[in-house]
Amino acid sequence: MQNGHLLELRQVTKRFGGVTAVNRCSLELAPGRIYGLIGPNGSGKTTLFNCITGLEPHDDGEIRYKGERIDGLRAHEVARRGIGRTFQIIRVFPELTALENLLVVTWGPFDEAHRRAQELLRFVTLDRLQNEYAGNLSYGQQKLLEFARILMTDPELILLDEPAAGVNRTLLNELLEAIRNLRAQGKTVFIVEHDMKVIMDLSERIFVLNYGEKIAEGPPGLIQSDERVIEAYFGR
Amino acid sequence: MVGQVVISGLLAGALYSLVALGLALIFGVMRVINIAHGTILMLGAYTTFWWFHLLGVNPYLSLLASMPLMFLLGLLLQRTLVTRVVDAPELSSLLLTFGISIALVNIAQLAFTSDLRSVEFLTGAFLVGPIALSKSRLISFAFAVTITLLAFWFIQKTKLGKAIRATSQNSEVAMICGINVPRIRLYAFGIASALAGAGGSLVAVMFAIQPEMGQVYTFKSFLVIVLGGAGNYPGALLGGMLLGLVEQLSSLFLTTQLSEAVAYVLLVLVLLVRPSGLLGGRER
Repeated sequence: MQNGHLLELRQVTKRFGGVTAVNRCSLELAPGRIYGLIGPNGSGKTTLFNCITGLEPHDDGEIRYKGERIDGLRAHEVARRGIGRTFQIIRVFPELTALENLLVVTWGPFDEAHRRAQELLRFVTLDRLQNEYAGNLSYGQQKLLEFARILMTDPELILLDEPAAGVNRTLLNELLEAIRNLRAQGKTVFIVEHDMKVIMDLSERIFVLNYGEKIAEGPPGLIQSDERVIEAYFGR
Repeated sequence: MVGQVVISGLLAGALYSLVALGLALIFGVMRVINIAHGTILMLGAYTTFWWFHLLGVNPYLSLLASMPLMFLLGLLLQRTLVTRVVDAPELSSLLLTFGISIALVNIAQLAFTSDLRSVEFLTGAFLVGPIALSKSRLISFAFAVTITLLAFWFIQKTKLGKAIRATSQNSEVAMICGINVPRIRLYAFGIASALAGAGGSLVAVMFAIQPEMGQVYTFKSFLVIVLGGAGNYPGALLGGMLLGLVEQLSSLFLTTQLSEAVAYVLLVLVLLVRPSGLLGGRER
């Protein structure tokens, strides 16, 4: 791991035709911490996640994970290096059962995978629904299932795209608790979230994007009072 | 009479299900309508024909050759050509697979001529009361059902099968979860081609074969997956049996040509009334 960083982005740029979605963005994530990524709608947060996870190849810059370049790798290769993610809109495999949703993403011995999948389903309180098709689960249950699916591959870096969106207070508290537990286990969590209370409570350090550019970075207290951030959200 | 026709319908339907399952697999995983699917079936039929005539191998044993050979051909076609159009507009994949089909048919015509050829094996019929069951059709039916059920079990129960289903439901998420989607697509095309090859071997025992025979199986397979629901694997099984029954039952009341047309009328009706297919797009 170079400089003790788990993930490093250097001058990463992504363009869609004439639109620059991510503009020379640099940031570093250390292991075992929770980071936030905020910015107004269309500021490039999800595109940046897509670049990190190999879904969208970036145009310039470099991305290093544990000191090694991962740009140019395909999405499944990035995942197998230990980077997991969720999506803004829940994306479970609707026609696989809850159990199959977890089993399909592992590449270890079956017995071990089966045991771990059942353990994780118990952890997210879906064990009684393990044979139910994921498409039949409620929104909240699908959110939990998606979360369990990430944990199934035991990634070191977890990218969560708006985990609080559309979930009730009880479920949200469970999710936040689970995220803190991940940190306690030494995982690094990188969260995109619009709910400011959630992101400020959870994150140890926050990056702010506006029009694809990183305009600020720092601990939550500092970010809340940063004039560039206030201007990006509320205008002058 | 009706009993005889229903039995014949089920015998034909099992073959349609087997072949259509392959087409459904390719469509499910790649969103590619493989016009060359029937052509691969034709090559499977010729594999059986030549193994029977040159080596004297039991045509049912030739499945052990036609399936692996067509699997390898499928891998080759997918790796070199089809992979280039997977994420392209659907017209590109239609044109490409149409081109592959024309090329393979012409190669077959050059190599084997356009003469009708047949594998004369197990002629005659079993008589069960008033119903006559063609020996070759009955055994082919048993093989078709067995291979289809094995393929279905494979898709439902094995790790690769689950990865195929996950990829067909959302390839982007499958990739993010660490599933090697390009490889899954490769294997899916190979498996689908092996199923078409098996279908060809079974057809060769029942009917005369010639290089252009595949076209009709492509169309019928397409019809079956529309009936069952595009990309829906159980739907392919149901659709195949339904098509076999409809074809045979309509032949009771109509001429052969008109009974062929009934299947296509059914296709139009399903597209109008239930475009997502009889199983409504559910893939289980």
